[in-house]
Amino acid sequence: MKFFNITYIVLGVIAIFSSNKVNAQISKAEIRATGLTCSMCSNAINKQLKSLPEVVNVETDLNTNTFVVSLAEGNALTPLIFKQKVEKAGFFIGSLIVTVDSETVMKNPYIIVKDSGNKPKQIQVQVLDKGFVTEKEFKKLVKSYKSVATFISNNEDDFHVKILN
Amino acid sequence: MRKLVVLITLLFFQKGISQELFLVTDPASNVPANSLSVNVLQLLFKEKFKAGYNYHVMPEATYGLNKNLMFRITAFVSNRNASLVTEGGSFYTKYRFYTSDDLNSHFRLAAFGRYSFNNSDIHQEQIEIMGHNSGFETGIVATKLIKKLAISTSISFEKAIDNKPNYPFPDNLGDNATNYTLSFGKLMYPKKYTSFKQTNINLMLEFVGQTINENGKSYLDVLPVIQFIFNSQARLDLGYRREVFSSMFRTAPNGVYFNLYYTFFDLKS
Repeated sequence: MKFFNITYIVLGVIAIFSSNKVNAQISKAEIRATGLTCSMCSNAINKQLKSLPEVVNVETDLNTNTFVVSLAEGNALTPLIFKQKVEKAGFFIGSLIVTVDSETVMKNPYIIVKDSGNKPKQIQVQVLDKGFVTEKEFKKLVKSYKSVATFISNNEDDFHVKILN
Repeated sequence: MRKLVVLITLLFFQKGISQELFLVTDPASNVPANSLSVNVLQLLFKEKFKAGYNYHVMPEATYGLNKNLMFRITAFVSNRNASLVTEGGSFYTKYRFYTSDDLNSHFRLAAFGRYSFNNSDIHQEQIEIMGHNSGFETGIVATKLIKKLAISTSISFEKAIDNKPNYPFPDNLGDNATNYTLSFGKLMYPKKYTSFKQTNINLMLEFVGQTINENGKSYLDVLPVIQFIFNSQARLDLGYRREVFSSMFRTAPNGVYFNLYYTFFDLKS
């Protein structure tokens, strides 16, 4: 009985750790790119995104320049890679919404600046940092979050997010 | 001709989606980082003072080193000496130093430089380092996309040097000039995108002008272009260049352009 208890605890701990590992990932990213209206330009972004080995699929809406990126399980990507890829194609991110596990956004590198109060298992968050929103929006956000020191410092390695659902 | 210009100008200001992949006036935007584009530009210009046509073939390769910096090499082949001869080449680089993007719009500024060498004879007052003169050109270009319309303009300084080894630049001609361009581009088809495979059709209107700094002699050309984009990866451009006015000596100002262009995205993968 005691043996089983220990086994269960060990298994339980392993389960928590491994599930945490799986949860520390982005399962989907919805990118809206700015500054373009041509399909050749969209294709440049499409190819950049598909060059990531973690990317399973990219669905594109050419009329709104929205890219829905499905990612493989167990990836360790952060929102930064999407910014880099879109900028390599010659454009910028107008909005980025990522689907992540609710536990993931509670810790580093994510910082929640606007909470919805709900905590479903999978949540959608919008990244609010510089380079992840349009320039106009960023100017407004700087005013709103001027008390958040990490937001003002524009560190590339942390991501300030707004929970959407 | 004037009617055609008016008609094309009217077409541009109708509703639609715009483009800036111009034929002869490069915009402030660069090719994607880590991509290679190859194209073959062909020109067929009618000789003004003798029978026949002046034919040029210019194979080009363009590489995007990063999001702000691109390079292009060009080879110049022409029939100036009866048979097709490779007369020279060119190095071009462009650096995008300012960009401001919003949803479906952008404003960009870039600086560019070109160095060309050419061994053909010098036969006109017009300075053209794309296939005629040895020399260099440097300038800035601004491109604005306002919702549906792309407008691009540039100003540059161009200087001709000797066409070595046999043709020094003539002393009686001005060897440097100011160039200016103004271009409009617009997507005509499709009205609504459904896939990357859709063929796009663009119409463009490019104005190209030059003033020789020493004596003020000038020309202005207009260049309507129709462009097809296949599979969001290949391009075919057809253009017609026509002199609007000129106070300088030019041997073959009017002619047609035919350009085939292909992009290899993301070389490293």
